[in-house]
Amino acid sequence: MLERFLGPRRVRQIHRAARNGTVTFLCLFLTVVVLRGTIGAGKFGTPEQDFNELRDHLYSRGRRVEPHRVLEEAQPETESDNQSNNYATFDITKILHDDEPEEKPDPNKPYSLGPKISDWDEQRSEWLKNNPQFPNFIGPNKPRVLLVTGSSPKPCENPVGDHYLLKAIKNKIDYCRLHGIEVFYNMALLDAEMAGFWAKLPLIRKLLLSHPEIEFLWWMDSDAMFTDMAFEVPWERYKDHNFVLHGWNEMVYDQKNWIGLNTGSFLLRNSQWALDILDAWAPMGPKGKVRDEAGKILTRELKDRPVFEADDQSAMVYLLAKEREKWGSKVYLESAYYLHGYWGILVDRYEEMMENYHPGLGDHRWPLVTHFVGCKPCGKFGDYPVERCLRQMDRAYNFGDNQILQMYGFEHKNLGSRRVKRVRNETSNPLEVKDELGLLHPAFKAVKVSTSS
Amino acid sequence: MGQENITQKRSSGGGGPGGGLPTTTANGGRGRSSTLLPRGRQLHKTFNNIKITILCGFVTILVLRGTIGIGNLGSSGDDAMNQNIIEETNRILAEIRSDSDPSDPVNEPESFFSVNDTFALGPKISTWDQDRKTWLDQNPEFPNHINGKPRILLVTGSPPKPCDNPIGDHYLLKAIKNKIDYCRLHGIEIVYNLAHLDKELAGYWAKLPLLRRLMLSHPEVEWIWWMDSDALFTDMVFEIPLSKYDNYNLVVHGYPDLMFEQKSWIALNTGSFLFRNCQWSLDLLDDWAPMGPKGPVREEAGKILTANLKGRPAFEADDQSALIYLLLSKKDRWMDKVFLENSYYLHGYWAGLVDRYEEMIEKYHPGLGDERWPFVTHFVGCKPCGSYGDYPVERCLSSMERAFNFADNQVLKLYGFRHRGLLSPKIKRIRNETVAPLEVVDQFDIRRHPVQGSSKSRS
Repeated sequence: MLERFLGPRRVRQIHRAARNGTVTFLCLFLTVVVLRGTIGAGKFGTPEQDFNELRDHLYSRGRRVEPHRVLEEAQPETESDNQSNNYATFDITKILHDDEPEEKPDPNKPYSLGPKISDWDEQRSEWLKNNPQFPNFIGPNKPRVLLVTGSSPKPCENPVGDHYLLKAIKNKIDYCRLHGIEVFYNMALLDAEMAGFWAKLPLIRKLLLSHPEIEFLWWMDSDAMFTDMAFEVPWERYKDHNFVLHGWNEMVYDQKNWIGLNTGSFLLRNSQWALDILDAWAPMGPKGKVRDEAGKILTRELKDRPVFEADDQSAMVYLLAKEREKWGSKVYLESAYYLHGYWGILVDRYEEMMENYHPGLGDHRWPLVTHFVGCKPCGKFGDYPVERCLRQMDRAYNFGDNQILQMYGFEHKNLGSRRVKRVRNETSNPLEVKDELGLLHPAFKAVKVSTSS
Repeated sequence: MGQENITQKRSSGGGGPGGGLPTTTANGGRGRSSTLLPRGRQLHKTFNNIKITILCGFVTILVLRGTIGIGNLGSSGDDAMNQNIIEETNRILAEIRSDSDPSDPVNEPESFFSVNDTFALGPKISTWDQDRKTWLDQNPEFPNHINGKPRILLVTGSPPKPCDNPIGDHYLLKAIKNKIDYCRLHGIEIVYNLAHLDKELAGYWAKLPLLRRLMLSHPEVEWIWWMDSDALFTDMVFEIPLSKYDNYNLVVHGYPDLMFEQKSWIALNTGSFLFRNCQWSLDLLDDWAPMGPKGPVREEAGKILTANLKGRPAFEADDQSALIYLLLSKKDRWMDKVFLENSYYLHGYWAGLVDRYEEMIEKYHPGLGDERWPFVTHFVGCKPCGSYGDYPVERCLSSMERAFNFADNQVLKLYGFRHRGLLSPKIKRIRNETVAPLEVVDQFDIRRHPVQGSSKSRS
């Protein structure tokens, strides 16, 4: 039709031009795409990013309808929440807020836990001499011990996480009451740079320096529970050592295995040596680039370690393996009893233990501590199935609790049950009845008989 | 012109990306070209076009694949898995939170304690004072006084199953941390109970069999201190002036005029009280328990209590009202050994206290224990472990957070920190680290400067 206006030749030219233009354009497009795919276009992104964005957009378009609807439904409820008495709809983060801003750490200063102290042993012994009412030994072979544990000051992401933290701290309170150990439950992040598993380092240093009367500080993770209430730690065994962890010498020094020891439950003597090892331990901790780079070094140097940021346990294995001459003589890697007991190999055997053995052994026959590594009950996702973790934590708790309840004549109906049943009748002569394990008035709790009151 | 030749060549091969164009330009219209060319030629040409289109399409896909990638075709699979995990988790959580238990007997009808029987906490003991004294003489390594102070056992507890909502468990955790801190500073031992020792006496009555059991098992304990799970210590320095109670066996926060003149159901508070470990206490517990057994006994008792106490709503018998009724009706038997303490807040009703914390920090100091710096702030009615409280949730939770941080500041002071505001879980440094930390310890450690409450009573 165009021909009528322009003439056949003209039309041909136009068509040709159009065709050429199309070809040029197509080739240009292909070139750009290929180049973008290989080199990338800087801040305009790569095709992969485009694709992801596109996909998310399309997918969320489909899904957005639902969440949007949920949010809208929730709105009217939350508006009246100021006056609502219903706890289920409340969001705690609405009321928490900081009155003061956080200080930014100086990025140029290398990290340190605190000013270097070099005469802590002398300062401490001087203080102990001047304060005889706070002795560091509360019995002939019994040092004053502070058990330290903790969790986040914010509610757990998992709805039952706080309940398990509560049961775990009750479990620790029970053991410590029986053994004359004090408890410190930490809910404060002392140093924002050392967050996560590293948070224990500044805390431990702070507690050692603030409580010179403490002879041993016993760190215990919040996911570890006492399962042998009768076992007393053999303190004399460690009289020449400053750091007691569960582990094996060969796995740490020879194999450099990242699980050669466990920092979920350990003893640290209050001494200059402890301050020094904390200072040597800390450098891999500061979050961000330092921790990530350190993580790579650790994965490279240690056996079987997966790839993730530096954690305190791997860092300790690395430190000990690298500087054995400096630290090794004062470190005791205990494997005769379960100062830390990996739950996976213990929890299914509780019934067998109850049948064949008795509390007070502390080892594979009746573990002192069952440590639920990897379960992360406070978080949303752990390394193991939720059901297994929570059910086994219940069983471990009940296993330990039975030893407490038997003092009062009760026990759980079975290891999976919250209910308790009576196993010893009330009498009118309660003082003549002794509990089987002798935990009501155990020898390790007896105070020194002194003539002055 | 050169281009025209190239395009002509292309057209003879079946056409490039332009596809068939040259023939149309040459002949001006597709329709005419089809009639001019032989059929076979046309087919061949079409076939070539298709071949080239497919080839180009293939090359394009290859190139695009190399750059963008096919993406995650298995993404839908991941979603399904996530959904499964979430459902599984919810199922397990519901199971854990339910009241049912694998050990519950199946199809057993619930039997209630009969109204005609009298409930007993246990076999009657009549010689407890003597038995206890004998035991203490025989066991000098478990004395009832430590460092000159009577041995105290703090008892608290909560139900064995998770709270109806997660925030409840979180505040139970904070409350026990608060108690651990106070008790560590004052040498008090703690028993945290998570078991129902007597299924008849469940709920708020559960403390009675527990207290009796602990008294009888621990003769070395001189005073046994019950504290509710919703009560927080807010004065970490204050110590109970136990010498004031040498002639008394029960110390409870209350007001004599509310009690004897008005017969009010809140004349005293059983959320925080102390029992001396003695025969008198066992007898009182025995006299207190009969209104407790759940079922018709508790219901009937509730009606009696509502009828006799001022201001009491109609509900089943609770331990507090029952104690008031007992002390009123058998005043001569019991009251001479009961101390109604109100010179400091052994129990402090939260509503009048929590808004004044900033004012207190400004004007006063820890160690007073009274309305200037309350010893205990008790969150009656908040019930964070249940689904509904008697007060708005926001008010309750923010007040509990404030009380917790108010107390925690006193503990953190030794370490050189405090919270960034009474509603903040984060802390800030208030004292720099030094190389001589022991000077600080001498100054700030609460254990070295305990303050006993004044023996003078203020009415």
